[in-house]
Amino acid sequence: MNNLPGLFVLLPLLAGLLAMLSPRPTLLRRVFIGAVLAALTVLSGWAVIQVVTEGPIVLRLGGWLAPYGIMLVMDTLAAILVTLSFFTALGCVLFGYADTAVEDEHPLRLPLVMCLMTGINLSFLTGDLFNLFVAFEVMLLSSYAILTLEVGARDSRHALPYLMINLVASALFIGACGFTYSLLGTLNFAEMIVRTDLLAGDFRLTLLAALLAVIFSIKAGAFPLYYWLPGAYPIMPAPMTALFGGLLTKVGVYVLLRVFGTVFPAMPGMQTVFLWVGTITIFTGVLGAVSQYSVQRILSFHIVSQIGYMLLALGLPGPEAVAAVILFLAHNILVKSSLFLVGGTIARVNGTDTLSGTGNLWRTMPIFGIIFLVQALSLAGLPPFSGFWGKVAIATAGFNQGEWVAVGLAIGGSILTLMSMLKIWLGAFWKTDDAVPVKCDALANWTVAITALFVVAALWVGIGAESFSRFSRHAAAEVLDRPGYVATVKAANTIIYEGKQP
Amino acid sequence: MNNQLEAAVVVAVLFGAGVYLMLSRRFLRILFGFLMISNAANLVIIGISGDPTGRSSGTVGPGGTANSVDPLPQALVLTAIVIGFAVAAYLSVLFYRLHADRKGTSLNTLNAEGPPGTAAAREKEAGL
Repeated sequence: MNNLPGLFVLLPLLAGLLAMLSPRPTLLRRVFIGAVLAALTVLSGWAVIQVVTEGPIVLRLGGWLAPYGIMLVMDTLAAILVTLSFFTALGCVLFGYADTAVEDEHPLRLPLVMCLMTGINLSFLTGDLFNLFVAFEVMLLSSYAILTLEVGARDSRHALPYLMINLVASALFIGACGFTYSLLGTLNFAEMIVRTDLLAGDFRLTLLAALLAVIFSIKAGAFPLYYWLPGAYPIMPAPMTALFGGLLTKVGVYVLLRVFGTVFPAMPGMQTVFLWVGTITIFTGVLGAVSQYSVQRILSFHIVSQIGYMLLALGLPGPEAVAAVILFLAHNILVKSSLFLVGGTIARVNGTDTLSGTGNLWRTMPIFGIIFLVQALSLAGLPPFSGFWGKVAIATAGFNQGEWVAVGLAIGGSILTLMSMLKIWLGAFWKTDDAVPVKCDALANWTVAITALFVVAALWVGIGAESFSRFSRHAAAEVLDRPGYVATVKAANTIIYEGKQP
Repeated sequence: MNNQLEAAVVVAVLFGAGVYLMLSRRFLRILFGFLMISNAANLVIIGISGDPTGRSSGTVGPGGTANSVDPLPQALVLTAIVIGFAVAAYLSVLFYRLHADRKGTSLNTLNAEGPPGTAAAREKEAGL
């Protein structure tokens, strides 16, 4: 029970290493990885229930006492995100099975996906700043490898900006860990909470916070540090783009939420910066999307734009806004991944995802059209889909704080989102052009069916919005409860593990 | 924590030189720039152990740990060095790959339209 958080880090790693034992991709390996991901999705779903009913779970690795050793802390937010990440990975991996024949699959794809999951989940669960750095590096190294694994000679250059910006961010992060340790004398989140309270208002603390904000904004893809993202993501195969687009930038947002919600005391100046950076990110992202003519590239720019909404809400003080971020985060992971998968199916059926070469899809695959329409309207934020509730929560929080201009601009950004989604709808689904080939085989039906899994999950979030928003308010209260976090971690010291105590 | 000015200067120079190299267009210079930045970051961590003059390393010897430097940064930097090494290896392989794909060793060959028959020219013909 207490070891539960460790399983979500160790099991993907073990499964990835075991998968590497089989040098050629085989059906058995596919079944094994699929089964592991499905089991972890169910297990993490159960963990959410455990955490909500019985409070956060803390694992002291190696049995070291609280402020000294490395901790894994699973509170409601972390548990929700772990579940969503396993669900997304399961969907994307299954899509990959349908999209690529067994013998055509790259032998390293599945092991690397499992390493990526290890890094992502460790970032969600860790209770220690340096361990967060290690988790980021595990995640980034796997992502570099996946990015260039199956890329062609034409597109390999797009990997370089992605790599460069993340290398600089990682070097800054090591430095920031050093500064944190020299300023606070600890890297443990719980102990940092105690000591930042003592230093509240100190200039050095503000500098440290600003440095961390820059580092995590690079990971999240905020303005003006997002230029690497829209070029790099579309060069991967569709299921990998969906996995990256759904999860990687969201890890950055989660860490911003954790560090500036839980670890550091509230900093009004920093929040104003987030508010306006978020607003500008929404606009620059969505304007980029409007200017593109290929499905995956439009969607990649939308990742940036959606991150803007989360940053905007991060810039608003109070539990209401944090709950809005969490609801939006959950909605966005599901919707974004599924839209990339839709793009993958379009490319499969039409042979290209450039809008000049697509068409006829509504005539031949109406169910696929409905799936796209539901997710696209959800992304734009129309009721009753999940995106509407996320945006309503953000707008309400903004209006209650009197931030009329920022929220007004954000709503304007939604209209542009709708416009670029309509561009995909008109170009790929509505247009009839007999010159456009439509190759709708059995496997294409499978890819559509797997995408439908995400639609069902996103619709569930949309229609059950009442219970989900109560859920996100609970998670938000936990994130903002700084003394509660310290107490939870300290309470773990009273649990005696079997064996010799250090 | 006193008398650490020289460490700060070394870090600043390394970081500045690293950024300068990373902003140039040749692959090899970018690689060296990254190595310098990553070592500057490692030095920051080593620097926070405190002034080592007249103090023992962070191990328990005769006389206990009373006069030793803080051992934790040394444990941290070990991790950071290993990760930096792995990333440098990946970066070298990526540059090799770009060289193989684009027949060049600088960023100019990545962005410029190449002569007929090269990947860049084919891309332009396809209207992408």
